[in-house]
Amino acid sequence: MQLTATTAKTVLTLKQRPHIPLEAEVLTPDRLAFKTRDEIAALPLVLGKRQVRVDDYFDVEGDGSHELEIHGDVGRVKWIGRGMTRGRIVIRGNAGMHLGAFMSGGAIEVDGNASDWVGGEMRGGLIRVTGNAGGQIGAAYRGSMSGMRDGTILIGGTAGLEVGMRMKRGIIAIRGKVKDFAGLQMKGGTIVLMSGAEIRTGAWMVRGTIISLAPLRLLPTFAFTSAYDPTFLNLYSKCLAPYGFALPRAGKEGIYRRYMGDSAVPGKGELLVWQPNSP
Amino acid sequence: MGGKVTCTLGEVKNRADLVIYWGGNPAECHPRHFTKYALMPKGKFVPNGRKDRTMILVDIRETPSAKAADIFLQIKPTKDFEMITVLRAIIKEQPVDPAIVAEIGLSLEQLRDLADRMKKAKFGVMFFGMGLSMTRGKHMNSAALLTLAAELNAFTKFVAMPMRGHGNVTGGDVIMRWMTGYPFGVNLARGYPRFNPGEFSTIDMLIRGDCDAALILGADPGATMPQPAIDHLARVPTITLDPKVTHTSRISRVHITTAVTGISAPGTAYRMDEIPLPLRPALKSPYPTDEEVLRRIRQKIACKPLQLPPTVPMMTDAE
Amino acid sequence: MRGNSILRIVGGRVYDPANGVDGVVRDLCICDGKIVADVEAGRTIDATGMVVFPGGVDVHTHVAGAALNFARAMIPEDHRRNLAFVRDRIRHGGIGGSTPTTYITGYLYAGQGYTTVNEAAVPILTARHTHEELRDTPIIDKSTCVLMANNEIVLDLLEAGEYERAKEVVGWSIWAAKAYGVKAVNPGGVTAWKWGKDVKGFREPVPGYSKVTPADIVSSLAKIVDELRLPHAVHLHCNNLGAPGNVATTLETMKALEGSRAHLAHLQYHAYGGDDWTNFRSESVRIAEEFNRNPNLTTDAGAVLFGNTVTITADGPWQHLLHKLTGRKWGNIDVENETGCGVVPYVYKEKNLVNAVQWAVGLELLLLIDDPWRIYLTTDHPNGAAFWRYPEIIRLLMDLDFRREQIRKLAPAALNRIFLPELNRCYTLYEIAIITSAGPARALGLANKGNLGVGADADVAVFNNDKDAAKMFSYPRYVIKGGEIVIEEGEIRNTVEGKGLLVRPHYDPSVEDFIRPLFEKHYTMSFDNYPVELERVEHAEVRPCN
Ligand SMILES: [Zn+2]
Repeated sequence: MQLTATTAKTVLTLKQRPHIPLEAEVLTPDRLAFKTRDEIAALPLVLGKRQVRVDDYFDVEGDGSHELEIHGDVGRVKWIGRGMTRGRIVIRGNAGMHLGAFMSGGAIEVDGNASDWVGGEMRGGLIRVTGNAGGQIGAAYRGSMSGMRDGTILIGGTAGLEVGMRMKRGIIAIRGKVKDFAGLQMKGGTIVLMSGAEIRTGAWMVRGTIISLAPLRLLPTFAFTSAYDPTFLNLYSKCLAPYGFALPRAGKEGIYRRYMGDSAVPGKGELLVWQPNSP
Repeated sequence: MGGKVTCTLGEVKNRADLVIYWGGNPAECHPRHFTKYALMPKGKFVPNGRKDRTMILVDIRETPSAKAADIFLQIKPTKDFEMITVLRAIIKEQPVDPAIVAEIGLSLEQLRDLADRMKKAKFGVMFFGMGLSMTRGKHMNSAALLTLAAELNAFTKFVAMPMRGHGNVTGGDVIMRWMTGYPFGVNLARGYPRFNPGEFSTIDMLIRGDCDAALILGADPGATMPQPAIDHLARVPTITLDPKVTHTSRISRVHITTAVTGISAPGTAYRMDEIPLPLRPALKSPYPTDEEVLRRIRQKIACKPLQLPPTVPMMTDAE
Repeated sequence: MRGNSILRIVGGRVYDPANGVDGVVRDLCICDGKIVADVEAGRTIDATGMVVFPGGVDVHTHVAGAALNFARAMIPEDHRRNLAFVRDRIRHGGIGGSTPTTYITGYLYAGQGYTTVNEAAVPILTARHTHEELRDTPIIDKSTCVLMANNEIVLDLLEAGEYERAKEVVGWSIWAAKAYGVKAVNPGGVTAWKWGKDVKGFREPVPGYSKVTPADIVSSLAKIVDELRLPHAVHLHCNNLGAPGNVATTLETMKALEGSRAHLAHLQYHAYGGDDWTNFRSESVRIAEEFNRNPNLTTDAGAVLFGNTVTITADGPWQHLLHKLTGRKWGNIDVENETGCGVVPYVYKEKNLVNAVQWAVGLELLLLIDDPWRIYLTTDHPNGAAFWRYPEIIRLLMDLDFRREQIRKLAPAALNRIFLPELNRCYTLYEIAIITSAGPARALGLANKGNLGVGADADVAVFNNDKDAAKMFSYPRYVIKGGEIVIEEGEIRNTVEGKGLLVRPHYDPSVEDFIRPLFEKHYTMSFDNYPVELERVEHAEVRPCN
């Protein structure tokens, strides 16, 4: 018999905010899709050193499906969407650490803030956060050779340290300002900073592209190469526009200044900094 | 990329002809460092001691250690990472932007001279303190210095070493590694060790309120940690083991007085270069040792119903 | 410590090469931690259809101490990639992978039927640390080798022609480190590395010295070890490890060792031809032929398996080169006046020609060296692969079809650089029992190990007789250590504590008057804190030198 998931969605509503972090890597469409409501209710979560059940912390509605909706402030619930390959998770509230880490497909949407390690070492798929996010977005876990290898992460608000650390491919776009070390040791892929970053952007980058629409404080190990009208930006514009990330084209309004670095490595990463024409 | 290239302090004593202190004030914080290991001693290959060595101090202010330095490089606060990154580029003869270099507070010439001295040294060593590792950039500042030292080995012998605090911090780190595979920031809640500084390191956990009890051993976080972390220690049941009443004791539910390790309790202390030194107690203490207290706590816990870790499958990183 | 269980293992096919027993069905009786002729009462284990081996003995491994512990902190990604060990009623939790944590090391060794290991590289200065880790390594018995071939006090004495005094210093050092044997790593090369250099020729002076050469160090230490009557020969990691064309150095080293006993560690890393990485090739045939002619030598394979690992060796210059070749992260610690250590994570890849040659050479040596009593199964853990992968090598040695299948996975260009496809020898169970137990025990001079004769230590492994040797040796049915059942049905049942094996060679105690002032001049700690106290070694057993 071929099992098929129901088309209805699975809805989890937080009953009580855990007093210490709750680990919930089981909350992915892959793991829930073919389970009944009761089976989902009985799935294990880890609260500190104790094993608890999903229904200890969540009201469960509906059988398993490819669409999981979570209501409530799950800012203390870690690892939601870990390793997911398909389906969709919608979180109405804040999300905890490691959201969508190692995911390779599907989509996660957060209507709220997210914590550190959003999309840590992800391989594909889409994560979209309307609010702010923490640090290490799409980053490599400590000691790993590479961070995200593909996929898209979109943050509506600000973000923390080490965004895209050691990322290899994929796109991270952040509307608000980000903290230090965006694109640290980046190996490829693209980071779009709509409001710029604090300091040390692109530190030790090897390859890849960081686009900033606000001026950046550069490291001394980046060199200006040219004013630039990168045609490949069209592609990004097209793919980001539906989410409200519009990249200006070089022309009447301004130009992109291109810098190469980090010469400490030495690397061939590029920083494209938008410079509006003075009126 | 990265790595850590270091040595024991005797190597410094016997060989180092270029000694750089970075973001530390050994003259006041590690007074024996100059005389015993790094600067004054006559070594096997530096027979004239101080005369055979060049000492450079890099710091944001002129501390008493500057008097001992041949060259004092005063840089602007929070420019360490930039300076080290520029040095990495210079040793590889890569271009840097002189205008931005100036923000470091040193001229490009000064940095070139420093890079040149590093390359020409027979055996160079960089000791770094909290002025580097605890200021903006933190672990990346330390990583930068360790990387620079590693890269200098393409030209000469070069090592780097943190100037760690007192109280056998190194010993804790060493034992954590053989017990758990990780030096610090370890979580054992799921029955096996997991590591993620920032997530599992003490200050971060306390500030977020991620724990519901605390056991404090050989430290006084009540005096050193940020206020929100201290507030959480006061909120949860905190047990402190210490020979004396500390700031932490005052906010603890329980304080247990223990014998002073090294004076009345035996054991091993690990020096900052990880050399194990035996501690031979000279005095008898009326108080139990930390080890004894912990063993007795464990025995009591063992009498309770056994609580095994969750049976949830382990999270391993996929390739 | 000593088990008081009484056991009778009945019906198993016993392989006990130390006593010439080759697959004979017989009962094995155990009492008071020893093999005995007969027992009256006690528990009976029905081993009908199973295979009974003496507990495994690892002659060369790196499981504890400053260098390995340094490596642990460097590779969190490896810890996360491998299955960890969850704490339970009996076991501590910990990490497996390339550098298992101490408790897990004990469980994993016992979990494949090994009961004795030799930690092959201990500096005197950090020996106390090594012994602290070994205390936390349960079940197995442990011996250690102290690093001597770059010890500057010894080298200075050899330079000055003071051989006799050098011998006294070595004797003193073994006891100071509470070691069992003497290890020589890249003689002279690590000292040179302290200046960022390596030794050039085997018969050229070590940088910083005018007379003493690697050859002098090798032959002197071999002679010293023999004259001190240590149970284990000098344990030698030859110069030029890993380098293309190092076959010449290895052959010269064998010549320099004539007239002395010696154990050549991880021979695989020393049996290469070619002038550079582009024409790198196997020279296992020449090495094996020469080795076969020299009965004074023993060796271990240092075999390589494909996959992730971390390389750790006192060979600092080699590690720096490896870091430059691979671009992987690099750790290095130089230990004052004594030695150094380098750490580089590494992946051996089937399609990489150099790695394919290395993989083949390890197996070739095991197949070409004709006396299994002189070559032992090792991977130079964790350098060639983690020790818990030994069963995979056993399968490659026993199963020709499987071996051919693996050879087919290599890049075709590798095939004309190796000899493996032409070798048809297959190991028997009897020979496996030799290379994993009886042989290394004999090489270590541990007559009571690797031996199921009456009076020997009751360290026994019982395996299913499975066609798939890898499976068979990965999951012993029973492991008995010192007479206690520690593994039953593949599960850890009991975590006994192991012994620390060491020797106290004869030396003139007045040598301390010579060492003390030198120590005070060149070291940075109090001389009285230098030697490790005997009570620091858990269940110390001082073995005789004769
Ligand atoms: Zn080795």
